[in-house]
Amino acid sequence: MNERQLSMVLVGVIVFICGGFLFLLLRTEPNVQLPKRVTNVRDEMLAGHMGAGAGETKEAEEAVKIGEHFETFDGKAGETKAFWPHFRGADFSNISKDTVPLANSWPKQGPPVLWSLDLSEGHSGAAIWKGRVYLMDFDIEREGDALRCFSMEDGREIWRRWYKSPTKVHHGISRTVPAVTDKYVVTIGPKCHVMCVDTETGDFRWGVGMIEDYGTLMPEWYTAQCPLIDNDVAVVAPCGKEVLMMGIDCATGEIAWKTPNPDGWNMSHSSIIPMTLLGKRQYVYCSATGVVSVGAEGDDLGKVLWKTAAWAHSVTSPSPIRVDDERVFLTVGYGGGSMMLKLKDEGGQIATEPVFELDKKTFACEQQTPILYQDHLFTIMPNDGGGLRNQFVCMTTDGKMAWSSGKEERFGFGPFLVADGKVFILNDNGEFTMIRASTKGYEKLGHCKPLKGRDAWAPMAIVDGKLILRDSETVICLDLRDKGSQT
Amino acid sequence: MAELKTPDKLSRFEFIRQGIARTAALALGFLGGFAAFGSRKKNTVWQLDPMKCVQCEHCSTECVVQPSAVKCVQSYPICGYCRLCFGYFEPNAPELTAAAENQLCPTNAIERIFVEDPYWEYNIIEDLCIGCAKCVKPCEQFGNASFYLQIRHDLCVDCNNCSIAMQCPSEAFSRVPADQPYILKHKTREQQVTPAQFSQS
Repeated sequence: MNERQLSMVLVGVIVFICGGFLFLLLRTEPNVQLPKRVTNVRDEMLAGHMGAGAGETKEAEEAVKIGEHFETFDGKAGETKAFWPHFRGADFSNISKDTVPLANSWPKQGPPVLWSLDLSEGHSGAAIWKGRVYLMDFDIEREGDALRCFSMEDGREIWRRWYKSPTKVHHGISRTVPAVTDKYVVTIGPKCHVMCVDTETGDFRWGVGMIEDYGTLMPEWYTAQCPLIDNDVAVVAPCGKEVLMMGIDCATGEIAWKTPNPDGWNMSHSSIIPMTLLGKRQYVYCSATGVVSVGAEGDDLGKVLWKTAAWAHSVTSPSPIRVDDERVFLTVGYGGGSMMLKLKDEGGQIATEPVFELDKKTFACEQQTPILYQDHLFTIMPNDGGGLRNQFVCMTTDGKMAWSSGKEERFGFGPFLVADGKVFILNDNGEFTMIRASTKGYEKLGHCKPLKGRDAWAPMAIVDGKLILRDSETVICLDLRDKGSQT
Repeated sequence: MAELKTPDKLSRFEFIRQGIARTAALALGFLGGFAAFGSRKKNTVWQLDPMKCVQCEHCSTECVVQPSAVKCVQSYPICGYCRLCFGYFEPNAPELTAAAENQLCPTNAIERIFVEDPYWEYNIIEDLCIGCAKCVKPCEQFGNASFYLQIRHDLCVDCNNCSIAMQCPSEAFSRVPADQPYILKHKTREQQVTPAQFSQS
């Protein structure tokens, strides 16, 4: 090997060593650090991501003057034949008894949107009475709960009764459905303020602060309890220090009757449902601590007929369902399941006994109340429902699964109602599905996406084939009528 | 008569000088080439996709690093700041206080701080977090899903075959670019970056 060859070998060896060294150097990963906090909570507050008022320290809140403000607008009441007077419709079943035929299928873009309105972030549902839509909303700028009365015809506002009640967005604000009769509208605001106004004029009648006056412990994310009007008496459940349930005379605002709360039961998101059990008319309510039934007539008015702590869930949204004269079905989400409660008359006293209990993977419902349809129960299973997660399911009242929508057909926390032999289901993101109301199986009839927002959880309302539904910030009216039936 | 040419003889000095010069030239060429081609090939690290995670708890038990290099992450823009946090409290907790019997986390790795009515802030104490996902599951099911797991690359030893990935039932683990080593949740789905998008970038 001469010197030139030797020099080439030497160069090659040096290049190999240098290259290897550089390769190892470059291969070592940088020590990447994830910030301890992905973002800063206070920056988020200042950026307004946490809702109105967040990040500010306010002095003690002023006393709320319920119903203090009133405004009129240019809307005119429309004409409707049917009624949706309160939460879950006329008979609390969430099944429309209208005879207006609804379309069996939709065009690709879905049924026509008759009108649309912007609302503040919330989950309040509509009540419909004689061409008017009543809806609780929140005025962000003026920090007030507002009962808004719209025309069912075109969505134009007729009047607004409101009161200042500073409330921060916390998974929305308003989340109740008003109760309406010919004479009165009763509302419950997010912070448990009960207000009664005249149905037509919006004139203020009276107001009650359940927290201020009765020591109610407000549920997480504000109350979702919907009021009830029965024989011109507003029935509400303050679950306060002393009063569990009470009736308020709509005409005078005076307390008609009170049911004591010796066990200190707390308010839930459930609503009082009137029903007849063992031949007695009664108000049944699922508190956060137990289920209670209060007499609704005669000598029983205001008296506890039965109660049980066997059904106690700290977060309860669904309301009780009357299955027949002696059975009440109870369900819940957030890890709970369901219970069929049977009542027995034992020498004049009503005793309760669980007939069966179901776990969260068999039958449950998180935010809505199941529908009793032809001796079956419809529900949408919650997120922790195992394989049935988010599926629409149908179960017999004996607790046997009839059918489910299948793993390809899942829904969310949104509402569902029955009308004209069809079930209408709204998904969280505004997707809207029509299926056949059947105890035999899942049959999808239509699907569209009329809402673009999120958290479409508010109960829906339907009259004369026109459906009111909303997402967190928009309410729309959909025309579901069959074309042949439209005039 | 023509003069006989003798081959050039390199002096020892010239030999060393040329050797160094050629070596330097080749090394620079090698470095340049490596830089040019090497930059095209992305270095990757392991990460888990929170959208695929099923909170099976394998992350806490299968990692070769103990406590696991997988930790819970809090996404503050997504969090609802609820007083009743399903990721913090046991189901049907007797009281909404920080008492141990009310807490879901087995290692007290979540700090709960009152911000202002009605908001509460939840922070992960990473030194205590074992990546068990007990908090992630209910947050995902009942809350805003702001808690989620990520491999922390200041702890991960980047095994060739990640032992958690081999056990992961939902195949949530994949290699992601080392310069974008986290799959962060964002407030909207539109903002969400998926591993597929990583591979396209």
